[in-house]
Amino acid sequence: MFKENQPAGETETVIGPSVKVEGDFVTEGNVVVQGTVCGTIKTSKDLKIGSKSKIFADVSAENALVAGEIQGNIRIGSRLELTSTAKVFGDVKTETLIMANGAILNGKCQMGNVKERSSRPDFTKQAKIDLKPQTTEELTENSNEENKKKKK
Amino acid sequence: MYYYLYDSRLAEKKYGSTVAKIETRLTDLGINGKINHLSFLKNIQQVVGEELKRGVKTIVIVGDDKTFGQVINLIADFNVVVGFIPVEGKNDIARLLGIPEGEKACDVLSSRIIKKMDLGEINGYYFFTSLEVINHQVALECDNSYFINSEKKELAIKIANLDCYQEAPTQPDDNKLDIFLTGPKSTFFWKKNTDPPTHLKAKNIRITSFKSTPILLNDDGRIIKTPATITISHKKIKVIVGKNRLF
Repeated sequence: MFKENQPAGETETVIGPSVKVEGDFVTEGNVVVQGTVCGTIKTSKDLKIGSKSKIFADVSAENALVAGEIQGNIRIGSRLELTSTAKVFGDVKTETLIMANGAILNGKCQMGNVKERSSRPDFTKQAKIDLKPQTTEELTENSNEENKKKKK
Repeated sequence: MYYYLYDSRLAEKKYGSTVAKIETRLTDLGINGKINHLSFLKNIQQVVGEELKRGVKTIVIVGDDKTFGQVINLIADFNVVVGFIPVEGKNDIARLLGIPEGEKACDVLSSRIIKKMDLGEINGYYFFTSLEVINHQVALECDNSYFINSEKKELAIKIANLDCYQEAPTQPDDNKLDIFLTGPKSTFFWKKNTDPPTHLKAKNIRITSFKSTPILLNDDGRIIKTPATITISHKKIKVIVGKNRLF
């Protein structure tokens, strides 16, 4: 998904370490964040968050590689990878989650496709079983009634 | 029909042989036309307007980047094809467009590979390549949705329509402007700035600052002061480009 040395043409947006972006940042290309972002980050492609970056925003992307700190909810379309330096304080929703040893995730986590969940069987249609202990008289009465029915 | 606009400096003696070679080649290729020398005394917009009425469809600028920048502003309103013959001087635009210097440019002109390109607009003034903010304590507001501020005080800001930044050319036909922000250069020569530059794309940029800050237009060296609104103009220009263009 992410290569160490990406060709210059592949990455559309880079937010450098000395830059602070404030507001709703919406783009359609790959995004690399190494600075600070406050607000919202939304992309339909890949997102890479550097180890020194701080994100105080809700994040939405197709794939994401997180090495820095995110304070906000993350919504990823397919694959979220948290490296050992990653710190996430917020809820995560993704298809696949990969967490390295040392990564911090504080929040609710929802993984996989909800449609994949097997359906619960309908127990209400099953006959109710009476579990009360029956007396000997009740048992003989029941057996007599059954014999009569058979003779008829 | 071709119409040639020559830079005023080409009237000087030292350019005589270069101009003669260009004109000979143009005649050989059968694309020669009326020539006009740019000068402060001529109203180029009026002259070009009259020539267009006579049936001129291609205007060829003969000069350098500065000439191109000046003429682009004058002819942006007309629906014409623009050609360029670079002659000695700063010729970054020609390099990006894949046009060689001098008489070799005539062959590019005759092959007529036409590309429709965006035009940037700053406070109502058109630019084709890029602009730079000289004093860097400014704030950028992009697409009316987010702000860009610097955590360090000095950042070099470049906003480009067509430019080549760190060997990666920008796309002049994507309907967006490229914003580049680079950190300050180290005062010590052995300490290199290893921070990657910030690169963003936006259609609408507003530059504001506490003090009036100059913005340098790389096309013609004009200076415009902040606050400034930079947008992609709804007008496009058709430019004749070479095979070796960088985009």
